[in-house]
Amino acid sequence: MYRVGVAAVWLYRVTLGALFPTTCKYEPSCSQYAIDALRTRGLLRGAALAGWRLLRCNPWSRGGFDPVR
Amino acid sequence: MTHLLALVLASPLTPLEHALRHVLDWLHTTLGLSWAWSIVALTVIVRMILVPLTVRQIHSMQNLQRFAPQMKEIQKKYKADKQRQNEELMKFYRENNINPAASCLPMLLQFPVFIALYYTLRGFSSHPPAGDLSWLHFVPSIADATTSFWGGYVLLVVYVGSQMASTLYMSATVDKLQRRLFMLMPLIFVFVIAHFPAGLVLYWMTTNLWTVGQGLITRRLIPKTAAPLGQQKRSSRTPPKEQAEPEAPAQPPRQEKPAAPAPPRKVRRKKRAGRR
Repeated sequence: MYRVGVAAVWLYRVTLGALFPTTCKYEPSCSQYAIDALRTRGLLRGAALAGWRLLRCNPWSRGGFDPVR
Repeated sequence: MTHLLALVLASPLTPLEHALRHVLDWLHTTLGLSWAWSIVALTVIVRMILVPLTVRQIHSMQNLQRFAPQMKEIQKKYKADKQRQNEELMKFYRENNINPAASCLPMLLQFPVFIALYYTLRGFSSHPPAGDLSWLHFVPSIADATTSFWGGYVLLVVYVGSQMASTLYMSATVDKLQRRLFMLMPLIFVFVIAHFPAGLVLYWMTTNLWTVGQGLITRRLIPKTAAPLGQQKRSSRTPPKEQAEPEAPAQPPRQEKPAAPAPPRKVRRKKRAGRR
């Protein structure tokens, strides 16, 4: 099931992600984090983790090394 | 591909599409703007809402550029291992209290508007609204595909130029290859965008030009302060041959002058100096 989410992330990467180039302040990047989270935690929890990460990826956060734990 | 994504996103974005349509209607009927100018106004409104986010981004990016020499050193050191290189860079950020400029959220906030506008304009082409759809005499209809008239090509050229310029201002990466890739991106995507309604290109163009303008203004207002730091580091990085050249004394004014990002320029100049 998590593959659906991973496919969605890739779809984003090749379309909008490529159209609006930016580099993430985190390592791994938000999209890679989403893929990792989906792989290890499954579709629902992975998506929730990825969503939370996206919210953290704002101009007021620190950024840095932040893998899925 | 984009169409597929657009299809997936269609239903949750319908309310936003309606809201967007209302804003456009309001700009068109109440303010009396033509549809094309309404789109420009809409873009400006969206970007004005995002100003607090982007200004902060630009500030932190300038901060980032102050540390560019050190970061380049780290990159050189871990050239072979990209993963390690990234981790070391992130560590360097934390140690020096750098807040990397690019963050996903502000960029993400623009997606729904952009996609909703795509739908609105598609609706325009199937059910044309009352009123003028042309723009500045060279775009006959903002709802038509961009390549269906010669003015569309003008829009595309401006889009590519503005996209490249805004990449210069906004992309945080110091990785040269990545930066170059981002610069080339619009040249590739122009073929995808060509099939979009002209109004969408208009939105894109306006938002890019806004980015460039914002970059120019913030750079003018906040002069760079860390010139000596950059110089120090640069000398440690450059071979002694080049140091002996009369390049060094001329550096501080040069660093303050250009409105465009300084580091890539510096590199280019140095190469030229090396060739001489």
